[in-house]
Amino acid sequence: MEFQTHFLYPSTLFVSKEPFIVNTILGSCVAVCLYDPVMQIGGINHYMLPLWNGEGLASPKYGNIAIERLLEKMVAMGCNRSRIIAKVFGGGEVIDTQISQFHIGERNILIARQILKEQKISISGESVGGKNGRKIQFNTYTGAVLQKIIARQTPLSTQK
Amino acid sequence: MLTDEQLLRELENRFKANKDSVLQLQKITAELQELNKKLEESEALKTHFISNITNEIINPFAAILGLSRNILDVKKEDWARVMAMVQLIHSEAFNLDFQLKNIFAAAKLEAGEFLPEIMNVDVNQLIKSMLDTFRYEAEKKKINLIYELEPIPGIQKSFYFLTDPEKLRIILSNLVSNAINFSFEAGDVEVKAWLKEDNLCLSVTDYGQGVSDANKKIIFDRFRRLDPGINSLNRGHGLGLSVNKAIIDLLDGTIELESEPGKKTTFTVCLPPGTENEHSSGFALDGNEFMFDSDDEQVF
Repeated sequence: MEFQTHFLYPSTLFVSKEPFIVNTILGSCVAVCLYDPVMQIGGINHYMLPLWNGEGLASPKYGNIAIERLLEKMVAMGCNRSRIIAKVFGGGEVIDTQISQFHIGERNILIARQILKEQKISISGESVGGKNGRKIQFNTYTGAVLQKIIARQTPLSTQK
Repeated sequence: MLTDEQLLRELENRFKANKDSVLQLQKITAELQELNKKLEESEALKTHFISNITNEIINPFAAILGLSRNILDVKKEDWARVMAMVQLIHSEAFNLDFQLKNIFAAAKLEAGEFLPEIMNVDVNQLIKSMLDTFRYEAEKKKINLIYELEPIPGIQKSFYFLTDPEKLRIILSNLVSNAINFSFEAGDVEVKAWLKEDNLCLSVTDYGQGVSDANKKIIFDRFRRLDPGINSLNRGHGLGLSVNKAIIDLLDGTIELESEPGKKTTFTVCLPPGTENEHSSGFALDGNEFMFDSDDEQVF
């Protein structure tokens, strides 16, 4: 099967009916992959912060917006909420800090679990937390996700 | 068995822990209240925006239609009068186009569908053509638009940089438009461009009313206009800077604001070079094709 590829930028969403391979790189950011096995449609987001606090645009830079909007888009393409499963990646603490409010990775993971639970979507797989960044590759047709851990010496500037 | 003293100490500890957690709860409640207020404000601004936008779009259209009808009625010998009307049409259409571009950019950004399209851009040319579109707007207020490209060794007229030209144009247009709007009559607006450690830096300075410290915090919020009064001389929806901030985030850049109220205001934007091919972007470090062939790959 022919797959097109897409690089997912932080603060953006991607959903496609066509089979796509979506690549992205995560540091403290989290990506939620949603997949409907019957429609064989997958969607993915990449958010940087857990909650929109009224600052700037209400964009998918924020977890609460990114997850809800991704779900809406999947449903708009004909996916059924009750069939959708989720996989969650990222949220590593790539920068050491003692201050709990700065634990962005952890808060990003929590918001994903919380919103998915509220929306009654089960998490079928996850790789979250830790100290490293991740490269992931999401197959929108099969819902499979490949992951590779990025060792810490990678310059932080390339990880979001 | 605990002695009385141990018991007292334990009680004291527990009271203290209790007090601490109450204090922490109070702090969190206060934060929540503030956040709630902010979200309420945002909602109110949004409602205001929707009622405002009707005027801001319909009025320019009415003006354009009216003026062009007038032009059609002008007799051949009076064609000199046409020039003034064409200028007004241009001005109305220019503003409308500018506002609509911001609205569409904001909508796309909020939908997460605004993607960088990186190419090699002649920055010098881009800035010049962008400033040229503002020429009439500047002339109306007798504003002097000054553009300065810091000389780069070996590069004279053209200056290439890997970035997204359309987004760079929106960023600059918003800054220049604001600078013109907030300048006093016959003031200067300065645009500068330079390279700093491979990053492209641009600054826009005006000598207008300036931004107070309190306003610096909220200036990037959406729909926020610092002077929202109906008689405000400054039109617009308060989207420009929030759009700028989001685009600059997308391009991994920074925006800084320096202002002395009543004297001058400078916005400085710095953007790192983008990666030309969208698919390989971000994977440049060790190459895309080697990405998933090693042993530590995991499948979920």
